[in-house]
Amino acid sequence: MFILRFLARRLGQGAIIIFLVSALIFTLLRVVPGDPVRLMVGGMAPDTLVEEIAAEMGLRDPIHVQFGRYMGKVLQGDLGESFVRPASGAAVGGASFDDSTRGERAKVLDLIAETAPMTLQLAVLAMVFALMIGVPIGVWGGLYPGRLPDRLALYTSSLFVSLPNFWLGIVLALLLSVKLNLLPAIGYRGFSYTILPALVLAVEIAPFIIRTLTVSVAGVMGQSFIDIAKVRGLSRNQIVFRHALKNSAVPLLNLLGVQFSMLLGGVLVIEFIFDYPGLGLLTINAVMQRDFPLIQGIAIVTAAVFVLINIAVDLLATAIDPRLDY
Amino acid sequence: MALDTTGATETLLSVRGLGVAAGDKPILTDISFDLAPCSILSVIGESGSGKTVLARALASWLSAPLRVTGGEIRFRGRDLVADPGHARSLAGREIAYVGGNPAGALDPTMTVGAQLVEKLRAVRPDIPAAEARAKAIRLLEAVHIPSAARRFHEYPFQYSGGMMQRAMIVDALISDPALLIADNITQPLDVTVAAQILKLMRELNHDFSTAILFICSSLPVACDASDEVMVLHEGRVVERQTPAALVARPGHSYTRELIAELPTLWQGGETGAGREIDRNRRAIMSVRGLAKAYEVRARGQAGVSRVQAVRNVDFDVFPGDNFGVVGESGCGKSSLMRLLTGLERPDAGSVFFEGENVAAASPKRLRALRRKFQLVLQDPYGCLPPQSPIGAILEEPLKIHRIGSAAERRDRARAVMAEVGLSDSLYRALPTGLSAGQRQRLNVARAMILEPRLLIMDETLSALDQTEQGKLLDLFDKLQAQHGFTYIFISHDLTMVRQVCSRIAVMYLGETVEVAPNERLFFDPGHPYSRALLSAAPTLEERRYRPEDCLLEGEPPSPIDLPPGCAFASRCPQAFDRCRAENPALRARGDHALAACFLNPDPDIALHETATETPHA
Repeated sequence: MFILRFLARRLGQGAIIIFLVSALIFTLLRVVPGDPVRLMVGGMAPDTLVEEIAAEMGLRDPIHVQFGRYMGKVLQGDLGESFVRPASGAAVGGASFDDSTRGERAKVLDLIAETAPMTLQLAVLAMVFALMIGVPIGVWGGLYPGRLPDRLALYTSSLFVSLPNFWLGIVLALLLSVKLNLLPAIGYRGFSYTILPALVLAVEIAPFIIRTLTVSVAGVMGQSFIDIAKVRGLSRNQIVFRHALKNSAVPLLNLLGVQFSMLLGGVLVIEFIFDYPGLGLLTINAVMQRDFPLIQGIAIVTAAVFVLINIAVDLLATAIDPRLDY
Repeated sequence: MALDTTGATETLLSVRGLGVAAGDKPILTDISFDLAPCSILSVIGESGSGKTVLARALASWLSAPLRVTGGEIRFRGRDLVADPGHARSLAGREIAYVGGNPAGALDPTMTVGAQLVEKLRAVRPDIPAAEARAKAIRLLEAVHIPSAARRFHEYPFQYSGGMMQRAMIVDALISDPALLIADNITQPLDVTVAAQILKLMRELNHDFSTAILFICSSLPVACDASDEVMVLHEGRVVERQTPAALVARPGHSYTRELIAELPTLWQGGETGAGREIDRNRRAIMSVRGLAKAYEVRARGQAGVSRVQAVRNVDFDVFPGDNFGVVGESGCGKSSLMRLLTGLERPDAGSVFFEGENVAAASPKRLRALRRKFQLVLQDPYGCLPPQSPIGAILEEPLKIHRIGSAAERRDRARAVMAEVGLSDSLYRALPTGLSAGQRQRLNVARAMILEPRLLIMDETLSALDQTEQGKLLDLFDKLQAQHGFTYIFISHDLTMVRQVCSRIAVMYLGETVEVAPNERLFFDPGHPYSRALLSAAPTLEERRYRPEDCLLEGEPPSPIDLPPGCAFASRCPQAFDRCRAENPALRARGDHALAACFLNPDPDIALHETATETPHA
């Protein structure tokens, strides 16, 4: 009962958020300079042709009319078609304004559906790596505030934070793939291509995990129920693993929710560096090609993922700490 | 480890020459005493006398910088100081500890029942989980937790303070310990609940044959609870006697002082009853039918619930009065304070300050009015900005009300500091270094710098110890004589109210159930709840009212689902059918005393046949 009411309320709020995001993206895309039709048909095409295609695509209607039409389709699960990408594969554009293949443009939903699993795989692996690095260091630091483990945690996270990800990506690629030939780096032809970019992302996320955990574990360890647990006869392991970690998990969970959403939204720089065919790379190309429907589609999907992850995080947090009541 | 192997007559705990120091500073010196199995020994002393350190030392729970400097703690003949491993194995199993802060004592993310089972299985892994669960529920029933089997699955935050303390007692007793160390366990509880916990503890001592070391700071409670009382002073045991002998023939000067200082409720001493107040003048503050409800969203339910924090509050405060508002936690005292000072608007009713309704005043007018009534709060630490110098804190109210030039404000601040007894050298200091007593002086100074007519003291003294309270009360007296202040004291402490207040309102669940002059309230209370409060008040005097006659087992109903009728009916031994159907209103009992109880003769019926009931808004 509680769960149903909670889900109804949060999904309703989520729908509003997604609607607002769509409206904002839609409007902004149409006021920024750069005519997508000109890009589609190429610089050589006559102006009349540009106008003709634009009118045919409805791009000369008032924005609210265009938006209404678009949202109507979105509600039916149709995110529209890419302006520039043919269903068959590589992007088109340039001089081929009379290219007959232009008619069979790719569905935005298909484009996202192809790349999203790649990004999901990268995000999950990055998260696993980040937790593997961050949790032990963070918990250890939190158990001994002000002492060596705490300082080590601080130094490690400072070091990780100050490594620029593009630099680390290039250095690791050079080291691990070029020199040592351990891991493949560029493109994607199998799971092993995910490891290197995930590692770079993990180094980027781990400091946040370390910092959050040291603070929350130290805070929980200072609370009276932990102090008194000793005199109640509980062992150190019971105190730390059953009580302290559970109580410090909520801040970490909130952090992971935000970080995971950001990873799923596409990791632009890393995917670009490693030429990893995920949502990030798709986004970059879509922006460069003024591919409005694709940008909009990615924005809507990302916003929806954000909303869903936040709902899941809050549900999990309530399960961990029943005092939280969202 | 069974009890009978050592024999019941042998000494259970034997402490010899125990010394504990914090770094180089000795806290406990040469503590020696014996504790027989199944007996209750109280340890009493003022704050700083080392009571809690003793409790922790016995529980092998000292943390740096505290350390044992010498002596031995023999438990069933084995020295715990010399053998920390053995001491650790006893913790929670043979030696159990209950502290004074039940609210934070259990993990908030696990159910109480799961933690009781976890504890029992941690110290006795041989007990199967099902058996542990059954035992926990049985003990929760034994400490009178209602519907224990259901409460077993609830979380700590769903327990009230009194219930949580009961649960912690279960937590301590579940492993059948031979020794229970109870460190200030009644400190945070309301008097009526504390009285129930003490009664419970004696029953448990009897039923489970557990020896109890009962540590507390209140002599009456200590005497009430135990077979023998040990007095601790400056880290030394100064005497040990049975309660009756201790009170009759205190052997040490410190004990004599302690007994002499103890405020009394009935046996004369200083009271606030003496002052002559003209009650035919216009009241300085007049409260009529005040009500305020807060909306809270209930867990797992649709919609919101209304917590009726303040319901029917009626009283008058006359110029020169020391008006007391007493009641237990959750009775709406603090909500009332917020309404009186215009911090919040009531849902119904009015608060007249010198004839002007504070509850309906515009924000601008309210600010102007606030010059004349000021507030001093309970927490001496939270209500001072830590980054402002003391002088600036004092001058701020003057700045807000645009009074005087900078130089005049400075002179005014220094004058007020002198009046409340803060040294002039503190003018530029930050409040960080001040003691609790000094902080409250500063708070009083900040309130009186605007030369108000009415000062509202919300539990201003409850964070201070006995001695410091006395000093501040003297200060209040002096200031009243000089400036003609009227005070409203909001407090849970009956002895304090008895000492200083001329007129007292008793609140229960948001209502004023009785408003009476000091003497009348203490000698002829008109409401059963007032009698219950008096019966539970800690005192060494012969009680005028016995707890078992005045109060039924149980805790106050929730202010969310108030039963119809009188709110006290569920705990009142004299309640009858009408009390459960109809809520009595305040009625005059003569001599400016009012009470809301059907047991009092109804003056309206006697005088006018038409006026049967005067319901409040």
